[in-house]
Amino acid sequence: MERSNIARRDDENVFLSVVIPVFNEQENVEPVYAQLKEVLKELGRSYEIIFVDDGSWDDTFPLLCGLHQGDPHVKVVKLRRNFGQTPAMSAGFDMARGDVVITMDGDLQNDPWDIPHLLKKMAQGYDVVSGWRAHRKDSFVTRILPSKMANWLIGVITGVRIHDYGCTLKAYSAKVLKNIHLYSEMHRFVPAMATIAGAGIGELVVSHHPRIYGRSKYGISRTGKVLLDLIAVKLLIRFSPNPGHWFGIFSVPFWLLGFVLGLWSLKLALTPHAGYFPIIIPALCFLMFCSAFYLVLLGLLSELVVKTGSYSIARVSWAMVSDEG
Amino acid sequence: MREARSVDISVVIPVSQHSGDLEEIYTRFSSELEKTGQLYEFIFIDDGIGEKSFQILKHIQEQHANVKVIKFNQTFGEAVALSVGFEKARGEIIITLASFMQTDPQDIHKLLHEIEVGYDLVIGWRYHRVDPVLNRWQSIAFNWITRRLTKVPLHDLNCSLRVLRRKVVEAIPVYGDQFRFLPILANRQGFRVKEVRVRHMEEMGETGIYGLGSYVRRMIDIFTLFFLVKFTKKPLRFFGLIGSALFGVGLSINLYLTVIRLMGNAIGDRPLLLLGVLLMVLGIQTFAIGLVGEIIIFTHAKKIKEYNIEQFLE
Repeated sequence: MERSNIARRDDENVFLSVVIPVFNEQENVEPVYAQLKEVLKELGRSYEIIFVDDGSWDDTFPLLCGLHQGDPHVKVVKLRRNFGQTPAMSAGFDMARGDVVITMDGDLQNDPWDIPHLLKKMAQGYDVVSGWRAHRKDSFVTRILPSKMANWLIGVITGVRIHDYGCTLKAYSAKVLKNIHLYSEMHRFVPAMATIAGAGIGELVVSHHPRIYGRSKYGISRTGKVLLDLIAVKLLIRFSPNPGHWFGIFSVPFWLLGFVLGLWSLKLALTPHAGYFPIIIPALCFLMFCSAFYLVLLGLLSELVVKTGSYSIARVSWAMVSDEG
Repeated sequence: MREARSVDISVVIPVSQHSGDLEEIYTRFSSELEKTGQLYEFIFIDDGIGEKSFQILKHIQEQHANVKVIKFNQTFGEAVALSVGFEKARGEIIITLASFMQTDPQDIHKLLHEIEVGYDLVIGWRYHRVDPVLNRWQSIAFNWITRRLTKVPLHDLNCSLRVLRRKVVEAIPVYGDQFRFLPILANRQGFRVKEVRVRHMEEMGETGIYGLGSYVRRMIDIFTLFFLVKFTKKPLRFFGLIGSALFGVGLSINLYLTVIRLMGNAIGDRPLLLLGVLLMVLGIQTFAIGLVGEIIIFTHAKKIKEYNIEQFLE
């Protein structure tokens, strides 16, 4: 796939990286920085602020350049075009060097003063701490209700119930991000995947402010696609360690049906019929056997894929545990 | 190889069976490039063209210091030839050309100018096509469909004349027949892409009317592109949707038959039953294929970078 040849210098250690994807947020960039700066200064730990400019065409980038020049803590990643929130975040993650990485919105809706609380929670031993906007300041019908439904659905399907998957303000330990790779619109599901891989996940009520400048660019939309993505995540979590096994289980009903239909056809063949023979029964029998066989083959194929791939839930879990010590 | 690393422009020419007068191409294009005052090199890739044509290439190479020839021992196709050429190219700017006089060499300045202005990839648009009507129609249809699908406003993807910056090919690997879509893939990666009208020359080397095979290949290209552009990272969205639809139709057919059966009519001899079951099975299988695709993406996600960084201020 696409390659990116820009890599980070790896010369200094940073405790905290704050990753902020921004897309056409010219009014918000400077206030966000000012607020953040105040909080981070008070922390007294080493930090960096990584703004990811997701292909803005307004004055966002020049403003970020200004901030970068004024403050060596500010790093700016400029993407070639607008790629979307997940790619922007993963660009930020790939560039982040902190032991803890915090993501937040660039629109002033998250409160930087929650960061110390997130860090306190992380210090208790969690690998991911997810913000929960218990009192959201958004329109109920267009944003809160769909989000509630999405959270419920993600919770039910993945079995990892947190209140606010959509909240950008989250803290991750570096080892989680190192081991979970983002693609498509996967950033929403990182907490779920991390949990299933054995990470400890915590939740923290965070404050949420109404938007002052500009309008919202990202949001949970296109429920049908999210649903299919969700099914994908669920199946991946369940399947990817040993897909052959699962495809095998999948194929069992087909084998059984085929077998029953086969017996039935045999019985029909042995009992003398007056001219009429329901050909459909043996036909269905063959069909069932064929698809059962086909599923087993797919299982073998995916075994092959997993074995040659560099990444699996099992490996992630292992990495989490082995990093513990 | 002969001179130090100081080439500004690399001209990459995949030479296929249907090549024209290579000597003429070299002479005419190099005399145009001479005018730019930049240092340039020519890289001919012999895509298994046979001994006789290779001798011509060898002859050119012996006479000019800035010519390289790479010889394949069999035909690998234009995409492979191009990617090998890109690998060997040392210039910051790369020009690709057809191995016959496809466009007016003088137009090269127009394209180079756009690169100077700041575009990353400039492709020629043969305006006033002079090839057979049928070919033109095929090309128009192909480009129209591609435009519709990708929303990238380009009119002549099959034009071999392209000028691009090195960073474009570094960011986008070319394989299969995908080199045709290089401008589109570049555009999707956020590179600045432009097309420039160029004069179409009488294609002397060869062309004739495209065979039926070329139509089939174009259709497959379009389908591949569609899949690549829309669903690379989310195969389950694509297969899942189709699978669910097939399964749904099959299920409704069978429900309908069940109702009929419950009303006391025999359904054992109805082909519809077979269709219903077949569709359901097909639906499940399509979904399963999507799942395998998803597993592929998931297990290889480490290598997938969905973003392309233009600048990093550290």
